[in-house]
Amino acid sequence: MRSQHVNAFVTGAFRVLESVFGATPTRGELQALPAVFTTDQCNVTIGVTGSIQGMVIFGMSLVTADRIASTMIGAPIKTFDQLAASAIAELCNMISGNALISLSEAGATCDITPPALIRGTNTKLSTLSIPAIIIPLETTTGTINLTVSLIEKKVVV
Amino acid sequence: MAKKILISDDAMFMRVMLRNIIETNGYEVVDEASNGQEAVEKYQQHHPDLVLMDITMPVMDGISAVKAIKANDPNCKIIMCTAMGQKEMVLEAIKSGAKDFIVKPFQAPRVLESIQKLVGAA
Repeated sequence: MRSQHVNAFVTGAFRVLESVFGATPTRGELQALPAVFTTDQCNVTIGVTGSIQGMVIFGMSLVTADRIASTMIGAPIKTFDQLAASAIAELCNMISGNALISLSEAGATCDITPPALIRGTNTKLSTLSIPAIIIPLETTTGTINLTVSLIEKKVVV
Repeated sequence: MAKKILISDDAMFMRVMLRNIIETNGYEVVDEASNGQEAVEKYQQHHPDLVLMDITMPVMDGISAVKAIKANDPNCKIIMCTAMGQKEMVLEAIKSGAKDFIVKPFQAPRVLESIQKLVGAA
């Protein structure tokens, strides 16, 4: 994984979060994750395919997820229903789409998969053979933990 | 009669947001599609004045849907509304027949400006 891959997603996150919440997030310290790690309570996973492959995971607490969904929908949510889940997933989709613009400008040809949302406590996750790095992003709604697990595909001509 | 718009996006949240923008400004949402294949079928059914089309969708992506719709109706008016803003994606969408390209997150005035330019007032 190159720093360029991580930076693309961090920059994309900053751009989108600023646009959606009207405030610039701050970035915490980057950390390498172990082979198997415990996820946050609410996670959106997005696959990356093409010349760069792997996945990105946006993790947050249920409280943060509620706040994000309420802000995006424009009204406090009573239950975390399909609309709230869709709002969170779409936020992460927009961040990833934005990241791909930077990666494309750097010469990569890649695509993202539709997002999936996983909710639960003490869920273990492993990105298997692709190392993962976590970057905490502090927003007005709470912390979003951005996990980037990407590898450049080698092509033999 | 209000101008008819078809919304195609796999995200329920996005369909709700776009519907709010469209209906608040006097246009009619004739139907919603959650993937490209549904968009093609609903276009045939309703012949809307305009389509707002996402790109990353299951079953059939938005660019494939644009090609399929254009094959049946060369005069179709489609605005891509997507998180995928790479230059190659924009070029492919326009080459396939889309009339405009809006990158998410968008502001309502940008969407409205594009709708009004293509189909006029509600």
